[in-house]
Amino acid sequence: MEIREDLTPVRRRAVILLAAVFLIFGALHLRMAQLQLVQGLHWRRMAENNRLRRLPLSAIRGRIYDRRGEVLADNVPTWNLLLFPDEARHLDRTLLFVSSLGVEDAATLHRRLDERGIDRLAPLVVGENLDWRQVARVRAHQSDYPELSVVAGFRRHYPLGRDTAHVVGHLRLASREELDADPDLDPTSRVGATGIEALAEPFLAGRPGQRWVVVSAVGRQLGVVREESSAAGRDLGVTLDARLQRVAAAALGDRHGAVVALDPDSGAVRVMYSSPSFDPELFSGSLSQRDWQAVAEDPDHPLQNRCLQGTYPPGSTIKPFLAVAALSTGVVTPDWTVRCSGGITLYGHRFRCWQRWGHGVVDLTRSIEGSCDVYYYQIGQKLGIEGMAAWLGDFGFGRRTGIGLPAEADGLVGTPEWSRRVRGSPWYPGEAVSVSIGQGPVLVTALQLARGYAALANGGHLVTPHIVVDPERARTVDLELDPAVLAEVVHGLDLVVHGEHGTARSLARLPIAGKTGTAQVIRLQEGVDSNDLAPNLQHHAWFVGWAPVEDPKVVVALVVEHGGGGGSIAAPVAGTVFSAALSNRDGGHGALPPGE
Amino acid sequence: MEHRIDAWLLLAVVGILGASLVTQHAVAEALGAQLLVRQLMWVCAGMLTLLVLSRIRLDLYARLAPVVYGVGLAGLVAVLLFGDVRSGTRGWFAVGPLTFQPSEFARLSTLLVVAAWLGRRSGGRLSIREASVVVALVGGAAALVAIEPDLGVTLTYLPVAVAGLWLGGLPRWTWIALVLLAVVAGGVTWNSVLKPFQKERVLTVLDPERDPYGAGYQVRQSKIAIGSGGFAGQGVGHGSQSLLRYLPAQHTDFAFAVWAEATGFVGVTALLLAYALMLYRIGMAGVLADTRHGVVLAILVASWLAFQVIVNLGMVLGWLPTTGITLPLFSYGGSSLLSTCAALGVVQSIWRHRLVNQ
Repeated sequence: MEIREDLTPVRRRAVILLAAVFLIFGALHLRMAQLQLVQGLHWRRMAENNRLRRLPLSAIRGRIYDRRGEVLADNVPTWNLLLFPDEARHLDRTLLFVSSLGVEDAATLHRRLDERGIDRLAPLVVGENLDWRQVARVRAHQSDYPELSVVAGFRRHYPLGRDTAHVVGHLRLASREELDADPDLDPTSRVGATGIEALAEPFLAGRPGQRWVVVSAVGRQLGVVREESSAAGRDLGVTLDARLQRVAAAALGDRHGAVVALDPDSGAVRVMYSSPSFDPELFSGSLSQRDWQAVAEDPDHPLQNRCLQGTYPPGSTIKPFLAVAALSTGVVTPDWTVRCSGGITLYGHRFRCWQRWGHGVVDLTRSIEGSCDVYYYQIGQKLGIEGMAAWLGDFGFGRRTGIGLPAEADGLVGTPEWSRRVRGSPWYPGEAVSVSIGQGPVLVTALQLARGYAALANGGHLVTPHIVVDPERARTVDLELDPAVLAEVVHGLDLVVHGEHGTARSLARLPIAGKTGTAQVIRLQEGVDSNDLAPNLQHHAWFVGWAPVEDPKVVVALVVEHGGGGGSIAAPVAGTVFSAALSNRDGGHGALPPGE
Repeated sequence: MEHRIDAWLLLAVVGILGASLVTQHAVAEALGAQLLVRQLMWVCAGMLTLLVLSRIRLDLYARLAPVVYGVGLAGLVAVLLFGDVRSGTRGWFAVGPLTFQPSEFARLSTLLVVAAWLGRRSGGRLSIREASVVVALVGGAAALVAIEPDLGVTLTYLPVAVAGLWLGGLPRWTWIALVLLAVVAGGVTWNSVLKPFQKERVLTVLDPERDPYGAGYQVRQSKIAIGSGGFAGQGVGHGSQSLLRYLPAQHTDFAFAVWAEATGFVGVTALLLAYALMLYRIGMAGVLADTRHGVVLAILVASWLAFQVIVNLGMVLGWLPTTGITLPLFSYGGSSLLSTCAALGVVQSIWRHRLVNQ
């Protein structure tokens, strides 16, 4: 057996170490006794006077300016009412008081309280946009309800109101998914819902911050524990022209429809107005269920942006594109003529010209000037539906323009293949005849038409319409058109306004080239006059064109829903917009901002 | 011959774990019930570990120590290379919903290797070379943790080194030199290592009212919570400090304050007694052990646990700066709980293999 070594020294050191530990334990215990037994009351009183609150610091959203610096979207200071539910001694009484202010009813408050997350330090926003009387009442009862707090906030304000409601857009409350995905958002955060507000959301939105503060038992702030400051969003300049937008809105008046104006060279959007409009500030505060239903269920669909969501038959405004197609492919020459006697029989069916007594002998330019249907029935036959569809596709029809605004419509260019695949029914040859005058299975938006005419005006370049200048997205496609072909068609469009038979002769005083269009909602029976139709079956009236003819600065596409004749209804409205645009340029407002 | 495991030690541990679960339950409403469920799972895993490790023969802990130490170091290196970052510290491996903190386990392996090394040599004071070995073994692991950087866990390596040197025995002049060195190192640390927010914490200890709503806020809240517990406490789940208007870390670093507010001086005394009983029984296991290895191993465990208890309570009471050192067996955290239970299992093994009638 080995001799045990002497462990006494190490044991002695171990005991010394343990003794030291127990000595310190004793000291700690004495300190506990001091805190809890001697000073207990003192600390308990401190506890009652000691509330930590987490205050959300909302980030100021960036302003939106038009091309001249006029404000389209602004922030105005407002008062909001916060409730810290866990501090309330009698929550029911507090909720009763809040509902008596008239900001929210008690049932809604109870529901929102139940839906609240687990963050006990964060407040519930129980009222927004308080008026001064409500603020005064809360302040007067502050000591009764220290859990209520009035804080300054911001509300979105749109100076042009209804005139820019669709294009500038409005805000909405963040959705549940967005709240889950982004911890910076809280249930009262608002994000862009439509228009530029949605398009430029990441740019405009700042980053909200928060501040932890200690308040006394009566709600007085004692100190700031921690602060994460908010970062304001960035201001955004857009291509819109507020002055022209107002003119367009006034010119359209009560009529339903859409006006789009573009810079033909860049595709910068100058005007985008849809009628009927709505008050965008309806959405800035908390929107009542009743107000929401009134807007959302309005049979006139005021929330729809007709400029890019409304699709209409283009009617005669499609003719210049088919003229370009026919000349470019060589199926006709400029000198080729047709004798129009008011109609033509194809596939055993009589297709009429709008000019019941006929245009007589018509060449290409005169076919545009007088908008002769018979001429285009024949061109349509020569091009075939596939040929027409391909050329219309080149001019950007049947697909989105890529402007980037939400819910843009594709439009439609019908083909036999489309008919089989989508419609599930065979293609009738007569439909191609309709397409050649912009009726039947062909639907366009005002924005698409404006872009198409911009290509005719700028020498054959298909631009990407945009509201925010973004070099990445602003692609331009050269359609590689023969300048002689374009010159021929442009001459025809010039004659529409300035020729003796032009369908828009009323605008002859203005340097415009353009085209009227009257799009049928239903096919007219023999012997029925269009003026006898019910209002909702009346034709849509189009005018699309640009000015000045030789040096295009602005393209306008305008549709009046159920307006009747393009020449009689749409052209005068467009004329008002054109003259404003032209006087704009001559009015000495200075050079355009760079980068457009 | 083998004895039964120490029931007193087991009783103290179960008592502390019970108090911990009550506290976690009290804050669960604010922090989410899944934390409580997870902690319950960790408690079960910890008790199982304790019982399994208590069955292992004591000399195996000495023989396997180098291997275990190597694995511990490898874990620390691996976490630096592949670990997850949480609040600026690269110190975690995530396995599904569970996270695993290698620095907690490396401390135990360091402790084992130091005890094994000191246990092999015979009596007599340590030479400078031998002392350097102890410092190198502990310092190597601690340095890897410091790189993460995890200041709190790094500091818990300190008692292992100090207690190891103390038990090994150093000439008196060496202690004086070491204290001087510590002072110099402290000065250097203050000037070039500590971040401004850490300095602020230290200054707050010296003057608690220095910044009552800033750096001093947590400690002030902690004192308010403990103090307002009074004699009998406000009842579990009723303390206004713990329920609301309180800062984070109430289930980890400041869990004791929650307990103190809920149960008052009575509960605080009971909990302190439980810790005292636990340390006393570990000390008994050490003093009664019949090998130098057993004595050193048990006392190293006791030193480490005592250090954490003292530093955490010192912090909660406002005597020491907030460093992120948790209260063993009490604060929320799976890795810490598991490694503590493992160490206690080793202590039980020492107790079971002691000699009587010597």
